[in-house]
Formats: sequence, C-alpha cells, structure tokens
Amino acid sequence: MTNLRTRYRRSALSAAAVGALTLLAGCAKDAPQDTFQPAGENAREINNLQRPPFMIAGVVLVIVIGVVFLCVIKFRDRGQVIPKQTHGKPALEIALTIIPALILIGIGIPTVKTLFDLAKTSDTQCVVNVTGQQWWWEYDYPVQPGCLPGGITQPIVTANQMVIPAGQHVLLRITSRDVIHSFWIPKLNGKRDAVPGRVHTLRMQADQPGMYLGQCTEFCGLSHAYMRMEAVALDAPGFSAWVTNQLAAYTPPPAGTPAADGEAVFLANCSRCHQVNGIAGSDGKPVIARPDLWVYSGATPNLTNLMTRTTFAGASFDLLTPDCRAKLVDAKSADFTALYLKGVEANCLDAVQLREWLRNPPGKKPMYTDATKLGPTNGKTRGMPNLGLSENQIDQIIAYLAERK
Amino acid sequence: MFTTGSKLFIGASALALAGTLIYSATQDSGAIGTLGLVSATIVLVFLMGINFWVRDSNVSSMDTPGIVACSAAHPAPGRSMWPMVAGLGSALVPVGLIVGKTITWIAVIVLMIATVEWMVQSWSERASSDAAYNAGIRKRILHPMELPVLGAIGLGMMIFSFSRIMLHLPSAAGAIVFGGIAATVLLFGALIAAKRQVGRSLVATLCAIGAVGLIGAGVASAVAGGRHIAKHELAQRTDSVDNCTGNESEADSHSSRAIAGKANLAGLIVLQGDKLYAEVIGINGRQDTLTLPRSTDSFFEFKNLDSGKHRLVADLGHEVVDPGTDKERKVPLILCTQAVGEGGKQFIVIKPPRPTSADQQYFFEVPGIDSKLKIEVP
Repeated sequence: MTNLRTRYRRSALSAAAVGALTLLAGCAKDAPQDTFQPAGENAREINNLQRPPFMIAGVVLVIVIGVVFLCVIKFRDRGQVIPKQTHGKPALEIALTIIPALILIGIGIPTVKTLFDLAKTSDTQCVVNVTGQQWWWEYDYPVQPGCLPGGITQPIVTANQMVIPAGQHVLLRITSRDVIHSFWIPKLNGKRDAVPGRVHTLRMQADQPGMYLGQCTEFCGLSHAYMRMEAVALDAPGFSAWVTNQLAAYTPPPAGTPAADGEAVFLANCSRCHQVNGIAGSDGKPVIARPDLWVYSGATPNLTNLMTRTTFAGASFDLLTPDCRAKLVDAKSADFTALYLKGVEANCLDAVQLREWLRNPPGKKPMYTDATKLGPTNGKTRGMPNLGLSENQIDQIIAYLAERK
Repeated sequence: MFTTGSKLFIGASALALAGTLIYSATQDSGAIGTLGLVSATIVLVFLMGINFWVRDSNVSSMDTPGIVACSAAHPAPGRSMWPMVAGLGSALVPVGLIVGKTITWIAVIVLMIATVEWMVQSWSERASSDAAYNAGIRKRILHPMELPVLGAIGLGMMIFSFSRIMLHLPSAAGAIVFGGIAATVLLFGALIAAKRQVGRSLVATLCAIGAVGLIGAGVASAVAGGRHIAKHELAQRTDSVDNCTGNESEADSHSSRAIAGKANLAGLIVLQGDKLYAEVIGINGRQDTLTLPRSTDSFFEFKNLDSGKHRLVADLGHEVVDPGTDKERKVPLILCTQAVGEGGKQFIVIKPPRPTSADQQYFFEVPGIDSKLKIEVP
C-alpha cells in the first residue's frame, strides 16, 4: 500500500515538474522566434488578436477539466442507485448554443478587421521582392521612389539577410523559383507561402533596429531545416549607407595579393553560377553568371557584397565568430546599425565555417548534387556541388571574398 | 414406388432422349446440337438416378435420427442474391478473358465477394434454429466489411456524379444548379425536422429518388462529356517583332487561365495616349521601370486603352542555345501577345534567364509606339 502511494506521489511530482518546465519555457525572454514577443506593428496586431482567445480558451479549459474532475470524484460509483435519466433541456441547450456563438462572433469581428489590416498595401513605403528557392532566400530591391528619401535608383540584390529601414512600412512581394516555401519572421508578422508563379504580399515593419530571425515553414525538401532567414532593421541613415554601399562600383583586389589570386580562382570555378557585379574576365568584359544552366532553381546567391551580411548558405552558417555574432545580436538598438554596417571584419571572420563549406558544400548542408542522380532535373543540381577545390584555392577564395563588402 | 421428383426426371430424361434421336435423325449438320442434347440426356439421367437412389430424401417414419437430420426437417433457407451475383461473376470471367484485364479483375472480385457472402450467409442460417439470432451473427461478421465498402462506393458514386455534372454544365449554370440542390435539401430537411412523425418509407423514398436522380444525371453528364473550355493563347515566342502574329480570340476572355492570370499579377502594363506605363503593387504611381527577379515566372496583364489594335512585346535580349556544344548559338528571346483592340486585355508571362547589364537590356514595348518600359533584372 505504501509502495503504491509512493509511486503515485512520484508520478504526480514528475508530471508537475514537466508541466512547470513547459510553462517556464514559454517565459523565455531571449526566444528569437517567439510570436508572443512582437517587435513590429503587424506582429503586434496578431499578438493582440490571439491573446484574448487564448485566455478565454484557457478559462474554458480550466472550467471543463474542473467539472470533469468534480463529476469523476463526486459521482464515482459507490454502488448507489442510478439516478433517473432525462433527455433534453431546452433552456440549457439554447444557452450552450448561444454562448459559444457569441464567443465566436466576439473573436470573428476583430479577426476580420486584423485580416484586412494585414492585407493593406496602400501605406507601403518600401518594396522588397523576396524569392525562395532550395534552400535559401533572395531579396531584391526594385527601382522605386520609396525606402529612401531619394528612392532606390538602381536595383539591389542580396541573399539570406533582408535589410529593411526600421519604422517603415515595408511590403514584401514573395514568390518561389522551384517548390513551395513559406516565409516567416515571427517577431515581425505571420507567415506567407512562396509559390512558384504567384506573387504574395506580406507587410513587414520593425519598430527598432535589430536582427529578427525566421525559418522556412513549408517543407521544401532535403535541407528545409537549413533554410533560414534574417531580417535586419537599420535606422534611416544606416539604411541609406547600406544602399550606397550595395550600389558601389566593384573594386578589384590589388595585383599580387592572395585576394587577386582568389579572384582568378573565383572566375574559373564560381562565376559560372555566382554573380559578383562588376567583375570582369581576362578579356575585360563583364562576367555574367548563368546559374539557370546549372542549377534547377535558376539562381544562386549574389556574392557582390558577401561580407556585408553575416551569414551564408541559407543563413544556416555564420560568417562571424560566435563572440562577434553574440555581440551583434545582443547589441542595443541604438548601437546595432553601426555595428552591422561594419560588416564582417577580419578579426570576426569565422573562416572555419566558410572553409568547410568550400571544401564540401553537400557535406555541410545536404543537397541534391550527385551527378548520377540528376536525371529528373535534367542534370541540374539543387544546391552547390563539391567543386574539388584544393586547400590553397580555398584560402585564395576566402581572401577574395573577405574583401567583398 | 416412384417419387414425384424421380418421375419428373424420368420424364425429362425420356424427352431429352427422344429429342436427341429425332434431332440426330432429321438434321444433317447438327453435330453440335446432337452433342448438346446427348449431354443434357446424360445429365438428366444422372440426376434421375440420384433422385431414384435417395428416393427424394424420403425418410422412413421408423428412422428417428433420420427425421431430425434430414434436410426437410431444417428451416428453409432465406432468400439470397449471392448465387445470382456469383453467376454474374462466373459469366464475366470468360468475357473478361476475351475483352480485357479490367473486366476479368472485376469478375474475380465479384466472385470473391459472392463466395464470402454466400458462405457466411449459409453458415449463419445453420448456426441455430433461431432465425433472428442467425441474422444477428451474420451482421456481426459481415457489417464491419460491408459498411465501409458500401460507404466508399456510395461516396465515390456521389463524387463522380457531382464532378461530371459540374464539368458538363456551363460555369454560371453550375452555381445556380448546385445552389438549387442545396436549397432543396435544406427545405426537405427542415420539413422533415418540423414534422413530429415521419414515415421511414417516405424518407427512404425521397433519399432513393435523390440518389437515383443524382447518379442518373451524373452518368448522363459523363456520357455527354464536359463543357468546352476555351484555351487562352499564350504569348508567342519569336525571333523578330515583325513575326508577331495573332489576334484576340474568344478564348482570351472566356478561358479559365484568365482567372489564374488575374490572381498572380506582378503588375499591370497599360498603353494609353501612345505611352506605355506600369502599375505595380506597393509602388505608387505610374512606373517606367520594372524590376523583376531572374529565372522566375512573372505574370503581367497588358491593357490597351488606345484606339487601334496593339500587342505587347517583351524583348529579353538573347538566349544561349546548346551551351558548351559545337551548336552553341545565341537566339533572340522575344515574346509577343495577341493584338487587341481598345479596352482589350492580354496576359504575358516572362522569365528572364539572365540579369540585365550594360550590353544586355530588356524592354516591354508596343510595335509602332515610341514608348518603352525598361525591365531591370538584378
């Protein structure tokens, strides 16, 4: 008997501990992808909408569970006579129909209003095209009068980190090049599917400069889990500086340096797929990448200003060392823009990750690159294949890329 | 001495024998007929012998165990459709072997079902002397198999019928017809619910009429075929603007693709007052430059607000054909819509394979109009 009681007590304690831990996990202050910690007006609207129903649902849950337990304990079988059974209680049934209906109407009205608010495009101040493909995100900034006081006069293309001006109403036009993906940065808004051939819009606004993390939320193949995204909000002068830097003319590395050797290696091995704007071949003509001939999605990340962003390969790996990354992510809003605009400095470059990637990309992130299995894609890869680079070539490429900012 | 059953078979055997003799004597080329009649005679004689031997299962009144065990002492078996179904399956097997595999498989499945059902029914009818109990155990065994299968077949028939009717009716009529059906179902439901006592036979009759009507209409629609769906003309690929041909057709405004196109627009391109401009979601005002992602389908609607017929042309530079081979060459990548009159619309889907550069510029233009929209592909 004592053993049984001890066992019950242990089970109850274990269940209570698990419940408490689950509850505590929901209170984490530093959860980077927490929809309950909105950092922009759109996410805040969603949060304001979802909290009251959660509370009502919580109260209903407690009442239902309480009544169930009460019935189980109070009316348990003690051998008593079964009470007279009755059928139908119109007043109760009407009440139990009307109360949920009223609750649903109460939830439905603000839900519809929020849906319309979140679909609004008329107050857009800045437009970014977002294109998903296996397994990274491309962001391009069309020529437009918005984003900056003078507008954007030349298109910009970047990858993995979407830079936006803090405080502005940014409209994302989301699509896909291959399969269905889904774009979600929980602190800034809800999710939106990226569907080939369709353009879906999503409002985005960040109150303060900072970094906001997200994750592809539609299973999209082998490396779905490695398809992340980061929204980087900069203050207005910082965003202007970022745009100016993105549109700056190409600076070739000084002759005779490892970076210059790296440029040659890049031209020979990487430029058929990866674009670096302004790079020229030995004949002096601009080199235009043709990923559409080699890659199933038809696109690869533009590497013109690789070191102005802090991640690579679908935002799965850091270009920054863990210390530098932590310093950036944890920076106060007022300090964030200046820190981010420094890009990846030499003392912060995590060359180990980049070296591992260049040595064998499919080994670091699963991708469909086995030449013998590419029949369905007509010989085109889904992701970056192993180029068989030597260690010397890898060092030279890293030296070259380290200057791309 | 001879029982009734024996007399019947004796007479039938004699008739068959007489028929055989007469037929074989009078018909010159009747070998098969004679063979059939001989076979019938043999079978009837055989049955006559069996019947004679068992004396119609007569049991002596002195044979007490025999009285209890004889078939006549058992309750008569209930009606069963399974022999008929089994016969149908058996007949379908040779038909299927001649016509095709599908019928054979159907016949085999029918045979298997009939065998199982017949076996269980026969077994249950002998399980006890209580007919109600026997019926109960039959249900207990077979209902878990019968109900899901019958439910699936019923649902399949309903889905098939609905889909055929919807495909057959004009798109506008479909909404009206199915709205009417839904309203009728609701009306009958309300009437039945309002009545205190409703006869089961009435409900069953209404349901049966509805089911027969639905399946009948479905089969008739399937036989009549689906409605004609006009196919929207796609933008025409050519190597020169001069080769653009084609005019707006009825399909341009009545195809399902038009709806899909409208739902996916990357932008609207308008020709008005000899000027070409674009309207893009999120960017206010008329645009003279469009920025599009590379290697991605972008849908545009072209609207001609000028008088005269005009078409939109997308000039996407050149495309390399057969890269890396001896046949590698550059071919112009030009797409043009049908020519449409004032107020006409056309859809165009473009997928620029390469980014724009100083020596590779892309444009939207209208032949004969001195106005271009620049396409930027970063």
